[in-house]
Amino acid sequence: MKNRLKLLRTERGWTQEQLGQALGVSRQAVNALETEKHDPSLDLAYRTAVLFARPVEEIFENPHG
Amino acid sequence: MLIIGRPTTSAQKKYVIRTAAFMGGYAAIMVAVIFGAFDDIQGTPAAWGLALTVTAPIVGQIWTTLAMMRESDEFVRAVMAKQFILAAGVAMALFTGWGFAESFAAAPHAEGWLIYPLFWGLLCLIAPFVKSSN
Repeated sequence: MKNRLKLLRTERGWTQEQLGQALGVSRQAVNALETEKHDPSLDLAYRTAVLFARPVEEIFENPHG
Repeated sequence: MLIIGRPTTSAQKKYVIRTAAFMGGYAAIMVAVIFGAFDDIQGTPAAWGLALTVTAPIVGQIWTTLAMMRESDEFVRAVMAKQFILAAGVAMALFTGWGFAESFAAAPHAEGWLIYPLFWGLLCLIAPFVKSSN
């Protein structure tokens, strides 16, 4: 799933490890999200949206619309 | 799951320790079998005890894998499931095919317990190529 996670993370100067800690997932999970090797669950997508204070659609591209 | 490099999370560390313990137990029994430690119990009820004993490390490894999945995030969980299913599926396919080859094509006999080391060998081969949950 295309997303702006890497851009949002680097804007804040965070490492993948730091973002992972903030989201409660591993660094590998953050890397997989950024490289589109993992589609987040609804729960993780909402947690990410809350963390960056943006709607989910601004972070993760809706593949169906 | 095959963990390459230093384990980073608490769940990974526990998984590595538990896997080493259970695989060590399995290997110890196999080495004892190879060196004839159980030759005297062949054909006795104790042989059934040995057969059950050797399953214990495998059951323990299944528990270890499930515990790691329970303690991991959704990405690691999904990748572990894919790796395990692929390795177990290929091991079952190969062993089933070999069994029929034994029955109908005079292939040499392979002991049933070989499926466990075969599974681990396949997991080592497959895991580096399974890095996506999709």
